[in-house]
Formats: sequence, C-alpha cells, structure tokens
Amino acid sequence: MLGKITITCFAASYLVALLLELSRLLFRSGIRGVVMLGFAAAGFIAHTLFLAYRWFSERDAFTSEFEWYLLAAWVLAAVYLYLVCYHPKNPIGLFTLPLVLILVLVAQFWASRTPFAKTAGLNGYVASAHGTFQLLGTVAAAVGFICGAMYLIQAWRLKHKKIVPQQGLRLPTLEWLQRTASRAITMSGIMLLCGFLSGAFLSRLKYGEVRWSDPVVWASSALAAWMVAAGAFNLFYKPARQGRKVAYLTLATFGMVSITLAALVLDPHHGGKQGPQADEPDEPKAIRAGGAE
Amino acid sequence: MKLQLVGCSHHASSVSVRERLAFTPQQVEEALAQLRVRFPQTEAVLLSTCNRVELYTATEDASLAPSHHEVAEFMATYHGLQLFDVFDDLFERTGEDAVLHLFTVAAGLDSMVLGEPQILSQVKQAYDLACERNSAGPLTHSVFQAAIRTAKRVTRETEISRKRVSIPSVAVADLACQFFERFDDKRVLVIGAGEMGQETLRYLADVGVRDVVVVNRNLERAERLAEEWNGRAAPWERLLNELAEADLVVSTTGADRPIVTLEDYRRVEEARYQRPLFILDLAIPRDFDPAIEEHGLNVYLYSIDDLQQACERNRKEREKELPKALKIVEEEAAAFMADLNRRATGPIIHRLKQGMQQPKEDELRRLFNKLPELTDRERAEIERSFDRLINKLLHPPLESLRDESQNGSPHALLDALKRLFQLKD
Repeated sequence: MLGKITITCFAASYLVALLLELSRLLFRSGIRGVVMLGFAAAGFIAHTLFLAYRWFSERDAFTSEFEWYLLAAWVLAAVYLYLVCYHPKNPIGLFTLPLVLILVLVAQFWASRTPFAKTAGLNGYVASAHGTFQLLGTVAAAVGFICGAMYLIQAWRLKHKKIVPQQGLRLPTLEWLQRTASRAITMSGIMLLCGFLSGAFLSRLKYGEVRWSDPVVWASSALAAWMVAAGAFNLFYKPARQGRKVAYLTLATFGMVSITLAALVLDPHHGGKQGPQADEPDEPKAIRAGGAE
Repeated sequence: MKLQLVGCSHHASSVSVRERLAFTPQQVEEALAQLRVRFPQTEAVLLSTCNRVELYTATEDASLAPSHHEVAEFMATYHGLQLFDVFDDLFERTGEDAVLHLFTVAAGLDSMVLGEPQILSQVKQAYDLACERNSAGPLTHSVFQAAIRTAKRVTRETEISRKRVSIPSVAVADLACQFFERFDDKRVLVIGAGEMGQETLRYLADVGVRDVVVVNRNLERAERLAEEWNGRAAPWERLLNELAEADLVVSTTGADRPIVTLEDYRRVEEARYQRPLFILDLAIPRDFDPAIEEHGLNVYLYSIDDLQQACERNRKEREKELPKALKIVEEEAAAFMADLNRRATGPIIHRLKQGMQQPKEDELRRLFNKLPELTDRERAEIERSFDRLINKLLHPPLESLRDESQNGSPHALLDALKRLFQLKD
C-alpha cells in the first residue's frame, strides 16, 4: 500500500495548493484557506510516507542525491506548513511551494539515483553529518531567500505608497520578514560552513586530501568563502544588518547555494559515484524513478 | 402592538438642532423615568449620539401608544424648547419602517461615516441603559436584540466595517501594522502636540505602544502630552537625537516650513546605521522635506495626502459593500416582522384551542357515561380521535392566519376569528 505512493502524488498536492495560493490574487473565498491547507498537508503526509517507506524498506536508503533533494523538499514543505499556520492570511505558499516543487523536480529528473560510495565507521558518520549540514543549510538559505524576496516586494510597495494591499497579496510585516531572513541567513551560514568543513574532513579521511578537481568542492569553497565574507560584513558593518541589505544578502546567498546544487547535479563523480553510466542501478531493490517499490 | 421611533439625525437636522436635543447619559436615565410616569404602558429606549437623537417606543396596545406629537413634545419640553422650533426636524417611523431604520442604524449604514462600528456599541449602551432603568419590555427586547444580531451579521458577512476611513486609523491599522509585528517594544516619537498626533497616539496605544517621546517647541505642552501617555518629553534641541532612536515618528507641528531637512536627515540616517524609519508626517505644510524620501532607501515617509488617498479608496470600497449590507438588513427586518406578527397571533390561537377543549371534555364525559363498559384503552383511543378532529377543524383557519402574518399584522383575520368563535380578551 505505502509502496504505491509516488512522487506524483505529493507533487500534485503541492501543485494544487500552489494554484489555490495563486487564486488569492484573483478572488476572495472563505473556505480556500482550509482546502489549501488540506492539500498541502495531504501532500506533506504522502511525502513523509514516501520517505519513511524508503527508509524502512531500502537497504541503501538516503544515500543518493535523489533522496537528499526529496528530503530537502520535505523540510521546506514542513516549514511552509508551519508558516501557513502562523500567517494564514499571507500568501507564503506563492514563494515557498515553487521551491518545494523545484526540489522535487530536480530530484525526479536530474538528481542521480546512484548511491554515494558506501562508507562505514567514522567516514560514514562524517558523510551523514556532511549531508545533513548541507541539507539544513540549503533549506535555511531557501527560507532566507523567500523572506528576502517578500521583504523586497513589501518594501517596494510601502515605498510606493501602496498602502492597501492588492487582493490577496497581504505580506507579513517588514519587521518579521527582516528578522526571519536574518535568522535564516545566520543559520544557513553556520550549517553550510559546517557542511563544507565536514566535507573537507571527509575528503581527507577518504583520499588523504581535499579533491580540488571536483567542481562541487570548488563551488562549496566559493560558497563557504562567501558565507565567511558575509558574516564578517554583517559583524563589522552595522548597516548590513538593516532592511534591504539583509534581503539582498539572502538573495545572493541563495544564488550561491543554487550554483553549488547545480554543480552537485551536474558532477557525476562527487561523493564517490561511478559516473553517468553507473546511474542505472545493479541491485534489484534499487530505486525506481517516480516511485518506491 | 405599536413600535414607533421619533427622532432626528445628521441627514436632515443641523448640528445646532442635534445639540439642543441631545441627551447626556444622566439625562437619558432621567428622561426614561419621566416617560415611564407619563406613558406607563409604553416601553422606551433612547439613543443619543453626536449624529442622532432617537426615541424608540413600543406598546402592546396600540391605542395606548403615545403619538408622534406627544413624543416630540416630550423631547422638546425636556430640553426646555418650544415644540414648533424642533417639530419639523423630528421624523417618525412606525412598525416595519421603524424596525428597518433601527437595523440600518445599528449596522452603521445610516452613519455619517458609512459602516463605522462605534454606533453598534452606542445602540447596545442605549438598550442596556433602558434595561437597567426597567424601561425596556418584551417588544423592545426583541427588536434591539435582533438589531444587534443584524449588525453583527453585516460585519461578519460584508467588508463594510473592515476598511478604515479616518487618517489616524488608516495610519496605524493599515500602515504601521505592515511595518511592525509588535508595538510594545517600539519607540514612538511625537513631534508637536497637535490633535491629529493625539488621535494617532490613541490608536497606537490600542495596538500596544508603550514607549512615547514627545518633542515640542513648548516643552510644557510636550510634558503635558507625555504625561497623558505615560511617556517622556524632550526639548526641541534634541529632535535629531530622538529621531535617531525612534522606530515610528508622528509629526503634527504647525511650522510653516520643514523642521527636518535633507541635511538633517543624512545625519540622522548615519546615526541610525540605516535602520528603517517609518514617518507619519500629518502636518500641513509638511514637517519633513519630501527630498528625504527620495534620498533614503530605509525611510518610509507618508504625508497626509498619501493617507487621504487610502482613506478615500477605503470609503469607496465600503460603498461597494452597501447593497449587500442593505440586503441583509432588509432580510433580517422582514424575518423579524414575520416572527413578530406570528407571535401576535399566539394569544388568539391559544384561546381558540382552549375554546375547543371545554366542548370536547363535555362531550367525552357524556359519551363515557352512556358507555360505561368501555375499557381505559378504548377511552384513550376515543379521546385521541376527538383531539385529531379538533386539530383538523382548526388547521385551515390557523394556516390562513400563519400565511397572513407573513405579510403583516393580520388584524382583520384576528378580528374575524374573535367574532366567529366569540373569543374574549
């Protein structure tokens, strides 16, 4: 029964929730909020069951990019559900759900399903920590990006004296957006830096050196350097912690994270994978596209 | 049964007339007591606000109800006025018109500012006061409770009260609430001690503002205003320093040129480390140089014109909701009247049914005497048959009565029933 849940199930639920969010811009409705939350929650439950089924039924669960992207989408969907309960009148889904769907699409069509090279003992723990830090950092950067984008829209509107919000486009307050974006960017910085350091440590454990030939390592280094620079800028230049500058910082950070993720998707060797020819799994229990069996 | 309203409102009466006829809460109590003495059979509720003075009276027996002239005379005499001075200003509504008027008033649809919510609490206060003074009765209870219910339904089902239309309320509820998540940790700087500033502070206090600083050229006035809002006053020379510390600024001075120039603001912005600042410049001419807004990305400067536009837009939005709100009021008034008329037929129906009971019991007694061999079960069955027969006989007249009461008070039918069945009061 659980094995029949496919990516399409929860992606379609998220898509319907997104369409309902979009309809806020067109007309008012009393029951839309409940229906929208219902679809988003149904998608989230299906998403959870899909991942849980893989965890319990697959021997090598959560060892491929495919699953890590789906996991990132799941965390972001959880953040969306929390935010939509906290700010039911704000169309947060307009900004969050597209990112959730993009992560699911990337997982479905582009992320490698080949498991990363198996590691045991200390290497295994460090690899798990590396993946977890990267995942949390990515989600935090996505949340920061969402808040930053909403901040810029809200600031533009208020600057241009659009006091009464257009139909359905009532955004959270500037204060909340700035605070959340700021916290998200700090969290993302810490996580991504930890992810980079644990990745470098893992590389040294496995190969005795950091593999600078790997484009993902390059992109991660650039991201880590950016986070350190942004942190220092934030610490020593007080205006960087105010208003639009926080929003710009979140957008730039998300851009850097996206480049790193793109490098990860395009690089067939990162994490000890065997290359594109090895994408087709040998083991009978391996993951099949679009579903868990 | 007669429900009547005599009063005046902003629609047809000038402020001077309304002022002369207005009642203070103490006067309302006194007037209700006097009415009770003069018209003992009459229930009364007196609604007196700055835009209307309306006396609602209700009497079970229409012949005992005070006339329009008597009520108008009472109101004029109470205020020591000549009746002919105010009589033309005092309109009258009776029956369904009075109900419709009260429902419209309570829902804020008859107010000067369409949809304003204060009138509902004023209607409630007037009704509560009448209840306390024992001047309300069954009729006024039902009509005022229905009016309050209707007003709540209008608020719930339309947007008419949601859009704010006064400058301070728009400034706080529509604007400041888009900037700040909470207000209890924000510093509000009030420049000048103008009335608009005080009104805005009232709204800000409602949303939780606690830290208020007042800067005014006259420090004494600043101190007085600050004391009123549990804030502190600062001398005029510290204006720029206070600007650097504030989160929200309300400026309402009577200065004839900007009190904060672009140069001043550059220094303030530096001291604030570009922290965003929300300024409500409610002064005419403006207190803040408009160039400040073009220069500073993190300053949001709103003039009275900007807010006026929002008020106007909200006013139009409210007007769009008016037909929907009026439809609700009409529906509720019609339902109330139908219910009232149905209730008016209650005593007649009761008497009619009672009138049938006596002959039924007499006939049953005679029958049971003639047939002593009947068992209890048979007797009960016969009794039920008699009841069914009475119900079937009464069904057509009662049905006609019910139908008639949907379209108004069925006086003619009630009279006919009384005469046909010889029903006595």
